[in-house]
Amino acid sequence: MADQPRIALFVTCLVDLIRPRIGFAALATLEAAGCDVVVPEAQTCCGQPALNSGDRKTAEKMARRNIALLEGYDAVVVPSGSCAATMRVHYPEILEHDAKWLPRARALAAKTYEILAYLDEVRGWRPDDVALPATATYHDSCSGLRELGIKRQPRRLLGAVEGLSLKPLAGEETCCGFGGTFCVKYPAISNAIVGEKAAAIDAAQADLLLSGDLGCLMNMAGKLHREGSAVRAFHTVEVLAGMGDGPAIGEDA
Amino acid sequence: MSAREAILSRLTGKTPAEVIRAEAAALLLAPERPAVDPAQVEAVFAERLAVPSVAASYERVADWTALPETVRRYFAEQGIPPVLCLPPDPRLRALDWSGFTLHDSAAPDELAVLAVARLGVAETGSLVFETSPEAPMLPNFLALHHLVVVPEVVAQLEEAALPGAQPRAHYWVTGVSGTTDIEGTYVRGAHGPRFLHVIRLAG
Amino acid sequence: MSAHEPQAAFKTRAAAALHDPILKIAVERTAGTAEAKRAVAVEAFPDFEAARTRAAAIKDHVVANLGHYLEQFEANAVAAGAVVHWARTSQEACDIVIGLCRQAGAKSVARSKSMLGEEIGLPHALAEAGIARVETDLAEHIIQLSGERPSHIIWPAMHKTREQVSELFRRSHRDPHAEETIAAMAESARRHLREGMLSADVGISGANFLVADSGAVCTVTNEGNAELSLVPPRLQIVTAGIEKIVPSMGHAVHLLRLLARSATGAALTQYTTFYTGPKRESDRDGPEEMHIVLVDNGRTAMREEGLAEMLRCIRCGACMNHCVVFRQIGGHAYGGTYPGPMGAVLTPAIDGLAKTRDLPNACTLNGKCQEVCPVNIPLPTLLRGWREKSWREGLEPKATRAGIDLWAWFAQRPKLYRAATATALKSLRAMGRGGWLRKVPMAGGWTRYRDLPKPAAESFMAQYRKGRRR
Repeated sequence: MADQPRIALFVTCLVDLIRPRIGFAALATLEAAGCDVVVPEAQTCCGQPALNSGDRKTAEKMARRNIALLEGYDAVVVPSGSCAATMRVHYPEILEHDAKWLPRARALAAKTYEILAYLDEVRGWRPDDVALPATATYHDSCSGLRELGIKRQPRRLLGAVEGLSLKPLAGEETCCGFGGTFCVKYPAISNAIVGEKAAAIDAAQADLLLSGDLGCLMNMAGKLHREGSAVRAFHTVEVLAGMGDGPAIGEDA
Repeated sequence: MSAREAILSRLTGKTPAEVIRAEAAALLLAPERPAVDPAQVEAVFAERLAVPSVAASYERVADWTALPETVRRYFAEQGIPPVLCLPPDPRLRALDWSGFTLHDSAAPDELAVLAVARLGVAETGSLVFETSPEAPMLPNFLALHHLVVVPEVVAQLEEAALPGAQPRAHYWVTGVSGTTDIEGTYVRGAHGPRFLHVIRLAG
Repeated sequence: MSAHEPQAAFKTRAAAALHDPILKIAVERTAGTAEAKRAVAVEAFPDFEAARTRAAAIKDHVVANLGHYLEQFEANAVAAGAVVHWARTSQEACDIVIGLCRQAGAKSVARSKSMLGEEIGLPHALAEAGIARVETDLAEHIIQLSGERPSHIIWPAMHKTREQVSELFRRSHRDPHAEETIAAMAESARRHLREGMLSADVGISGANFLVADSGAVCTVTNEGNAELSLVPPRLQIVTAGIEKIVPSMGHAVHLLRLLARSATGAALTQYTTFYTGPKRESDRDGPEEMHIVLVDNGRTAMREEGLAEMLRCIRCGACMNHCVVFRQIGGHAYGGTYPGPMGAVLTPAIDGLAKTRDLPNACTLNGKCQEVCPVNIPLPTLLRGWREKSWREGLEPKATRAGIDLWAWFAQRPKLYRAATATALKSLRAMGRGGWLRKVPMAGGWTRYRDLPKPAAESFMAQYRKGRRR
C-alpha cells in the first residue's frame, strides 16, 4: 500500500441522512491517519435492506453497482460494522454464481474495512491530543463483532483519549434488537430486547454510550431517551475525532 | 418402491468405501480434548468425581476382599439396613457377605446396589459398564445408592470403547440421576441413584 | 404432521408471550443458567473452536456419505439382532410404531423424550391408538400433565414455574409432595413414574447417535430415564432421524464432548448408553426385541435443497439459550416442534414456508447462534436463504416488497436519491421540535417504543459537496 493510500469513504445511508457528523469525523480521523480520502459522489447504500429482506436480485444489483464505484481505490472505509460486513463478507457470497463479478467482489472485499479496524490495525493510528473528561460504556455491535472481529480495536483507540474511562457494560456482546428491518417488522419483540439493553446501559452508570454502528446507536439512544435516561450516545469515531464534546445523538436541533 | 429404497436412492453416492473409511479415520486424528497427564490419571479421576455435576464420593481399598467391610461402613454411615442388591458377578459372590441379606435383582424401591465397572475414565469421572449374564443393567438405575467398584482407570473417553463384538448395552455413568427440569434447579435422584459411591481397588 | 397451531398467528403468539411476566422469569432462570454454565465449560476446554470445526467436519462427512453409512448401520444392527424399519414421512413412522405396539398387544408405553418423536407427532398417534403413554423425562411428564407441547428441546417445561408445576403434581400425583420445594416435587414425580416405567409393555426413545460400524444406538440423559424406559419392557422401539449417524464410537465421543458442554456446561451427560441389539440369551435384563425406525421426514430434501448444513445439528439447544428473540418470547411462540434459531431453519422445511415465513424473518441476524453452535451451523445464512425463498415465492407482505422496491429504485439513481432524500429529510424535520421525534407516520413500529433522532438538515453528501470537510 502506498505511503498515503487513496481511500474511498463510504459513509452509509444512515450516516448520510441522520448524522452527517459521523461522516465528517471519519474524514478527519482518516486524514489524520495519513490517508488521501475521496468521497465517491454516486454512493447511496450498501444494499443491506434488500439482502436481509430476501430480495437477492436487488442485493446483487447493489453489490455490482458498489463494486464498480469503489474498486478503483486502495481501500474502502466504512463507519459501520454491518455495512462493511455486507461488502466484505456478503458481496462475494451473493455473487458466487457470477464468474465475471466474483473476482471483483473478492478483490473489493479484501480491501474494505470498518473504520475502527482500519485506523487501528491497518494504519496503527492513535488519536493525538484528544481529550474528553467523561465515562463511557461500550456496546459491541453484532456484525462488526462476529463478522469482522471488531472488539479490541475500538477499546485500544479509545484508550488514547485523555480523560475518558470505560465502564463495563453487562451483556456488551448481546444484540440490542435493532436488526435492520427487524425492528420495524417485529417492533414488540425488538422493544423487549432494547428495553433490557437500555436498562443494562443505565446500570453501567456512564455518561456516554459508544458503539460503531449508527443503526444500533439510534435504537439504543432512542429507547434510552424515551425512558428518560440521561446517557448520551456517540459513534466511537466522533469521540476519536475530538467531536465528543458536541451534540450527542438526538441533541442536534 | 419401498421406503428404504426411496430414501437410499436419494442418498447413495459414488465415493468408494475405502475412501470414506480413510476420511472418517482422518477426522479422529489428534482430537481436541481435556488433557490428562499420564502420571496423574488416578488423581484426575478422583478430582473429576468430585465436580458438582458428578458429585460422587470416593475411597480407595486394597483389594476385593476389603469390599464387604467397606460396604458395611458405608451402610452404617448412611443408615442403610444391611440388605444389598448384588449382581451375580463371581468376583463379588466369592466374598464374605455374612451379615448382609443379598439378592440379585432389584426391587422397585431398591435402596442400594453394588456393581463392578470395567473401567473408570479420568477425563470425565465416568464409570464404564457392559451388560452380561453376570451384570444386569436395571439395578444400577433403580437403586438410591449406587456403589461401584473400579478395578482400572484409563485417561480418556476413547479408551472406554470395547473392541470386538458389542454386548447388548455399553454404558457410562457420570454422576447420579439428576434433573434441572424445574426452573433449571439441580435436583439429585430424579429417577435413579441419588448417591454414587466409587470404590477404587488399589491393587 | 404433528398437530401444530396455525402458523399465521406467530405475531399473536409472540405478543401473548411478551405480555406474560411469568414466562419471562421462567425462561430467564433456565436459559440464563445454561448460558453461564456453557461459558465456563467452553472456556475450560482446550481449543473449543478447533473442536467444533472438527465436529462440523464429522457431520458433513456423514451427510455427504449418508447412504453408505445408513446401509452399514442397518447391516450391523441387524447382525446384532435388531429389526430396522424405514419411514419416509412422519405418518409412515407413526404407523410403524403403532403397528409394532399393537402386534405386541401393548397397553402402555414408557417414552423417553425425543425431539424426533415430537416432530413426527408420536404422542398424538399413541393417544389416537388408545395406547397409554408414560412420559418418563421429568419435563415431558410436566407438559403431558398440562396438555402442552415442549417449549425447549432440552428443557421442554422451561416455561413452567415451580408454582405451576406444584399445582399440576398436586392435581395428578397419588402421593404428592408435602413441601413446596423443587426437590420434593421431583421426588413426587419419582414415586409417581416408577411403577409406570417398570410395568410398560414397550419402551420408546429417540437416538442421539447411531453408530454405523457397530449398529449401536446411543442415548444420553441426565435423569437415567432412557435406561429405565428401555430396559424393563419386552419391546424396545427407537425412532431416529437418518442424520443421527456417526461412523464410529470415536466420532460419537468427539460429538458427546461438545454436546453436554453446549447444553448444560457439564463434561458429559450423567448417563450415556450404547444399545446394540436386544438382550442376549442369558442376559439378566433387556428387551426381547429391538426395533429401529429410521425416519427421513424431509431430511433428504433438506440435503438436496441447500440445507445440508442443518443436518449437522446435534440438538444441544445452545442457539436458543443464547438467542435474544427466544429469551423474550420463549419456545411456544415459534409454533413448531423446534423453537429458536434452529427451529426457525427447520420448521419451514418440515411444515412448509407459506405457514412459517415469520420464523426466519423474526431474527436480528446477530450471529450469536452460530457463534455458540458446537457444529458451527451457519444459522444466519440459512435463515437468509429462507428469506430469499420467501421473497422469490411472493410470500413477503406487499408493503415490504413495495418499500424495498421503492428504496432500490432510488438507491440505484444517485441524483434522484439525493433529491428524494432531501425532501424526506425536510418533512421529517418538520414533525417535531428539538432533537427527537416522538411520533412519525409510517414509522410507528419505531416510535411506538422509542424516540427517533431527528435527521440532519442537510445530508452528509450535500454538505460535503458544498465544501464542508469538518
